[in-house]
Amino acid sequence: MKTFKMQCKYEIIRVLRNRYFVFWSLVMPILFYYIFTNVVNTNAPDKAEWQAHYLMSMTVFSVMGSSMMTLGIRMVQERSQGWATFIRITPLSDTVYFAAQMIGQSVIHMLSITIIFIAGALINGVSLTALEWIMSGLWILLGSLPFLAIGTLIGLMKKVETAAGVSNVIYMVLAIAGGLWMPLEIMPKIMQSIGKWLPSYNFGNGAWEIIRGNMPDWRNILILIAYLAVFMLLSKYIRRKQEAV
Amino acid sequence: MNKIVSLTNVTKSFQHKTAVNDVSFTIGKGEVVAILGPNGAGKTTTISMILGLLKPSAGEIKLFNHQPHEKQVREKIGTMLQEVSVMPGLKVREILELISSYYPNPLGIQQLIELTGLTNQDLKTRAEKLSGGQKRRLSFALALAGNPELIIFDEPTVGMDITSRNRFWQTVHQMAAQGKTIIFSTHYLQEADDAAGRILLFKDGAVVADGTPAQIKSRISKQSVSFFVDPEMSLEKLYLHSEIDDIYRKNNRVYIQSSNTDRVLELIFQEKIGARDIQIERGKLEEAFEQLTSGAKEAI
Repeated sequence: MKTFKMQCKYEIIRVLRNRYFVFWSLVMPILFYYIFTNVVNTNAPDKAEWQAHYLMSMTVFSVMGSSMMTLGIRMVQERSQGWATFIRITPLSDTVYFAAQMIGQSVIHMLSITIIFIAGALINGVSLTALEWIMSGLWILLGSLPFLAIGTLIGLMKKVETAAGVSNVIYMVLAIAGGLWMPLEIMPKIMQSIGKWLPSYNFGNGAWEIIRGNMPDWRNILILIAYLAVFMLLSKYIRRKQEAV
Repeated sequence: MNKIVSLTNVTKSFQHKTAVNDVSFTIGKGEVVAILGPNGAGKTTTISMILGLLKPSAGEIKLFNHQPHEKQVREKIGTMLQEVSVMPGLKVREILELISSYYPNPLGIQQLIELTGLTNQDLKTRAEKLSGGQKRRLSFALALAGNPELIIFDEPTVGMDITSRNRFWQTVHQMAAQGKTIIFSTHYLQEADDAAGRILLFKDGAVVADGTPAQIKSRISKQSVSFFVDPEMSLEKLYLHSEIDDIYRKNNRVYIQSSNTDRVLELIFQEKIGARDIQIERGKLEEAFEQLTSGAKEAI
């Protein structure tokens, strides 16, 4: 138990000391949020709703990024620098190691969600009911699972540079095409129909529904679960192939 | 039964080559064993299998009479791998605390500092900012963190300067004196000769010699008796004795090769050949090593 706590604690410290994490997961989303709700005039019919909507978009953007990049790149780093091998020789069990990483990551996500929500409340005075704040926070926390699975896929790559490049591209494509930067409705028809099937759109849409007083769509939940299953199987399959050498 | 490590008919084949071929040996408590051999002899593969990082293709490996990957085994071993491993994002002290927490009876940080030569300044440094030598010391400290009974080093002194090397061996001897079992691989002959009580000499994936440095020397490189003698003197009489393997002249000295140098001395005086400045030379481990491993170079 002591080991587990210690492992969680240091997993969290490591993420917080990572400058890329602080920049991409906290500074960028808050900056974007400020720009797209204050500087750029978006002509939104319902200003308060747009401000809440975009706050969700940016929180989803942040958590999606740290799920894929922080986790994935760190896995590659640990493997390429021999740390993963060293850990295998210590008595630390794989279960504890994996669980601590997941818990560490979740704590980090809760922190990001809280900070960005507070930023929204301070910058634009976004006000939601307590239930809406909690529900949307929980949705974002749980909805990050398929993206963590993408993170483990990226984590299977051999070089840190490749992993960083690939994850960046996937991140940006998913964010834009999934309507996190600007609503899907203002995009061309074809983009809209593709976007609706992307995990990022379904992740975001759950939160957008919640702040409008609805529950996330079943469709959103099912699609996210399907993606989670596919990415996990894929990751397992590739790992087995890599180990077969 | 104080067997700490035992390998029985262990073979490891990769796709195109057999890295380790039918190796068997046991290592008892308190031994300091060098796995010596040229590059590509199968040292690292053998160590990886002992550590449970690789599975043997055939044969069996037991540590403390258990499988290498079992938790109770892992709690008793410490290791320093060839590749320097660091955990980015954490300070040295934090890493040491974290790894120590995995073990039931860890050594304290203070002890680790004394044993490895890490400084208090190093403790506050983030792992990724350490110099090569500092990283090596950190790896050494990590190997000792769990107060292990069996310590395994893969090419430990590569990249160490002379001071750290001396300090390293000093600590290793200290550990050995405490009854810990130590296995290290090296391709430095001198190191194996100086530090180990036993050498396992590897060549082409097999153990070609196993014994104390002295035993290996006497077995492999022949001893000889050399002396000055009047050039007119015939040495033919000596050829008649079967104990003598070879006689040759070099720099005006006569060299007589034999595994029984005492008998050679007796013969020299018996035959009254008037030998002066007699010396007995033992083969150097260096030569034995080259004799044994020279074939490997031709293969490449």
